[in-house]
Amino acid sequence: MSVQAYGAAGVPEIDSAPTQEVVWHHRHLLDVDALTWPEIELIMRTTDEMKGILARPIRKVPALNGRRVTTLFYEASTRTRVSFETAARNLSADVVSISTATSSVTKGESLVDTIRTLEALGAEILVMRHSVSGAPYLAAEVFGGHVLNGGDGWHAHPTQALLDLYTMRQHLPGGDLRGRKVAIVGDILHSRVARSNIWSLTAAGADLWLCGPATLLRGMDRWATAWGDGAIPGHGRFHVTSDVEVAVRDADVVMALRIQRERMQGGLLPSLREYAARFGLNAERVSLAKPEAIVMHPGPMNEGVEIAPDVAVSGRAVITEQVANGVAVRMALLYLLAGAHETGRPHDAHSGEAIR
Amino acid sequence: MTDRQIMTGEEIRRAIVRISHEIVEKHAGTDGLAIVGIQRRGVPLAKRVAAAIEEHEGVRLPVGALDITFYRDDLSLVAQQPIVKGTDLPFDLNGTTVVLVDDVLYTGRTIRCAMDALVDFGRPRAIRLAVLIDRGHRELPIRADHVGKNVPTSREEIVKVHVEEVDGSEEVTIGRQLRAGEPAAGRQ
Amino acid sequence: MSPRAKTTGAASAAGPKVGEVVERFELEKAWLVDPVSGREGPGEIVVRDGVLESVVWLEGEEAQGVTDKGVVVGPGFFDLHAHFREPGFEDAETVASGSAAAAHGGYTTVAVMPNTSPALDDPGVLERIRSASRASGSPVEILAFGAVSAGRAGEQLSAMGELADAGVIGYSDDGAPVKTPKLLRSALLYAGMLGLPVVEHAEDIELTAAAEAHDGYVASILGLQGWPAAAEVNAVSRDLGVLADALADEPRARLHLTHLSTAASLDLVRRARAAGLPVTCDVTPHHLALADEWIAGSRRWSWEALSADGGSRDPWADGALTAWPYNTSLRVNPPLRTAADAAACLAALLDGTASAVVTDHAPHTVVDKEVEFGRASNGISGIETALGVLLALVDAGKLSLAGAIAALTTGPAAIVAGWPAAAATPAARKRGLTEGAPADLVVFDRADRWAVTEASLLSKGKNSPLIGRELSGRVLLTIAGGKLAYEDPQA
Repeated sequence: MSVQAYGAAGVPEIDSAPTQEVVWHHRHLLDVDALTWPEIELIMRTTDEMKGILARPIRKVPALNGRRVTTLFYEASTRTRVSFETAARNLSADVVSISTATSSVTKGESLVDTIRTLEALGAEILVMRHSVSGAPYLAAEVFGGHVLNGGDGWHAHPTQALLDLYTMRQHLPGGDLRGRKVAIVGDILHSRVARSNIWSLTAAGADLWLCGPATLLRGMDRWATAWGDGAIPGHGRFHVTSDVEVAVRDADVVMALRIQRERMQGGLLPSLREYAARFGLNAERVSLAKPEAIVMHPGPMNEGVEIAPDVAVSGRAVITEQVANGVAVRMALLYLLAGAHETGRPHDAHSGEAIR
Repeated sequence: MTDRQIMTGEEIRRAIVRISHEIVEKHAGTDGLAIVGIQRRGVPLAKRVAAAIEEHEGVRLPVGALDITFYRDDLSLVAQQPIVKGTDLPFDLNGTTVVLVDDVLYTGRTIRCAMDALVDFGRPRAIRLAVLIDRGHRELPIRADHVGKNVPTSREEIVKVHVEEVDGSEEVTIGRQLRAGEPAAGRQ
Repeated sequence: MSPRAKTTGAASAAGPKVGEVVERFELEKAWLVDPVSGREGPGEIVVRDGVLESVVWLEGEEAQGVTDKGVVVGPGFFDLHAHFREPGFEDAETVASGSAAAAHGGYTTVAVMPNTSPALDDPGVLERIRSASRASGSPVEILAFGAVSAGRAGEQLSAMGELADAGVIGYSDDGAPVKTPKLLRSALLYAGMLGLPVVEHAEDIELTAAAEAHDGYVASILGLQGWPAAAEVNAVSRDLGVLADALADEPRARLHLTHLSTAASLDLVRRARAAGLPVTCDVTPHHLALADEWIAGSRRWSWEALSADGGSRDPWADGALTAWPYNTSLRVNPPLRTAADAAACLAALLDGTASAVVTDHAPHTVVDKEVEFGRASNGISGIETALGVLLALVDAGKLSLAGAIAALTTGPAAIVAGWPAAAATPAARKRGLTEGAPADLVVFDRADRWAVTEASLLSKGKNSPLIGRELSGRVLLTIAGGKLAYEDPQA
């Protein structure tokens, strides 16, 4: 039985999470691998509420009034940074924005020193983007507040995976991904978006297919093989193929990933033209998917390379919805993280994330 | 710790009916009136107030639910973020007289949050407040327009309102605050 | 120390200080291991005036209750591969701090690598190291490898002949492979002429540019850039090919491959040795006992991560991830490999393909390690934990106690004995419990565990992935060349 209790401390105890409901206990969000499915659903429900706020005449609530959110971007990414900062401002947080071009980072200051400085300056929630995989884990070790990973190296981009999941649920009956075919086509090897999506979509029960040229799929087959059915608690299997038609056929969701020019200099691709011809999402390939299938892209797009311009603007494309949902998901995560306090909880099974 | 019952289900029902009459009387009718319950137990109470008004006035008033989570000023003090229960205001607030309904009025902070939240959705003509229990100890200059029962309490006591829709029973109880080290059983 | 042990030294009644001759040390009823005679069992030793005066093997009633699970005496350990960072990187380690760390690890002889600054490519640098060793007061014997190429730049040969005259025991560009096969051929010929080996760090740097972790399942999930096993296999096959070629001209050419880490490269060495090529190799404690899954947060030994079919278990499936991921103390060159590769390192040690365990002790400062994983310097501070790691293998039944001690003593000595010009030097001496010789031994207690902490490591390098863990085999006493090198403060 759950009842409302009015305590004596002078604060109204508004129904702090009854025991039968999932409780948010993560101090940091570094990847989706640390999340249980009920926790992901809590993020989705909280995102629903944030969408409600975004639909109001006044798109701002005082939830994080006076809390200090700092964005620390070691890689240029205007869209992700603006999305986080919009989310923080919608919650009335104070936002400090630091990018490598404008900080002592360019003077060779170490990440650890930078983070200690930001903490001394009052940062409470640190949103971080870094080109080296695992860098946010180092940040979380030294930072006294909360770290929210805005993308690290090839490793993880948890807010992108969660906004992708949210967008897919909006378009699927009952918001249920179980058995739904999701094809992700592109440069899987170098993609933190793909890696985080592997964790979240296999948790959601989707029939996930990763597709790209063999050079950009390295290591993925080994991973997919290791994750046979039931191998990893809470996660299903996924598939890897270099045949784009196999990946896209009868898919409910088709997602293209950005192909970067550097891949050709690295000897991984003959040319962008050849990539577009063999793997680009054009109308013909998308027509192999289910009639009601949606087309996604985490942006920024190279139209004419990984996605044809007519596909990008077609009725199936939900790319601008992804951007809008990104603000709501990031609001939800900022809100949830801000309330996670020390509970002495031991390590999580996956990433070793602890409340410390 | 044993909780003492201070209202029975029947007493709750009578209090709701009385409040519903008071609301109509104070407003001199039902025109432009809307009832909004504060999540969580204020919502079923608001529905009952509206049902009682419908019974004796023959008018179905718009009823809404207000979640004040994002407006709380104590988010950094609670152990975990409260679960958001959702806001649903299926009518235009502008020009309406909104009667906020909650179960217990204590420090007044919840009501302040609720008013903040409400004005983000529009500009009501007036906001009134109806509560089932007023237990005193206000920390803000807030007063209820309609009260089911005034209950003098100490700060160490806990007042619990149980409603069928949420708790599966109907009563109001009063008990003592747990001290550190006491078993938590019975609190939930 | 055992209650029946007694140490007295020259300077004071309280016992000798580091560097002083051990006047008298007696140990009753310990487990003695002599890898030269192959004998182990209950026994007693007496050291007098720095000399191992008597070694008595106990039998019958006297031997009662003495097991190999308690206090053990063995010959002082010989590390064929360590970095003491002096000159040039004294904030990471010095000859003095490295010697203290070595003695704490049970080592009495250490061969240091030449990747200092300046590189050990002429006799002057060697003299600086020797002078630092003398100044340290530590009796730990410091041997050195000279650089293969001048400045380790991979362009031209170092002052190899002068270095040989000054007493280096071989040549290496360790930290990197000898840059080109052509230079390697010259080095093998010239060093062979001098009766000394080339010690190769086998890595195809084309394949490891920007690499962060072993190219496998763990790196795929963690998004780390892959460091393929092929990089080591390529380099080993290059080196073996060049060696075979050089031998035709210089039969005294010798190749030693250090810190091999993959099943495939060890297999190449196994076949080359079977074919009679004069090649030797070694493995490290971390490649034996740790696996790449540690980077994800696993902390189980490699043999515990081995699946029934000889592959690697999945730490994500097993719930084995208990520590914070991306710990930079695990960034090492060559990288930690799979549990199956670790098992192959052990198999190579057991079948003699690899005849020594070397620490590749690579201390680094916080500045070089408290950074992003991919930007951290490679290396593990390991000279103090090597014994404990090998004892974990012994405890698990994977290696005999005598085998572990041989890998730290006679194994490396035998490798050096195979280098013509070094064979007659003290470096190649037999490392046994020999009566009448200067006492050179270690006493440790397998029943006594010690906590690896930043404070308990005497090395300046605190970059050990074992920090926070307990190891068995606390070293109680190390005597090097008759002098006290280390004594446990609580003993």
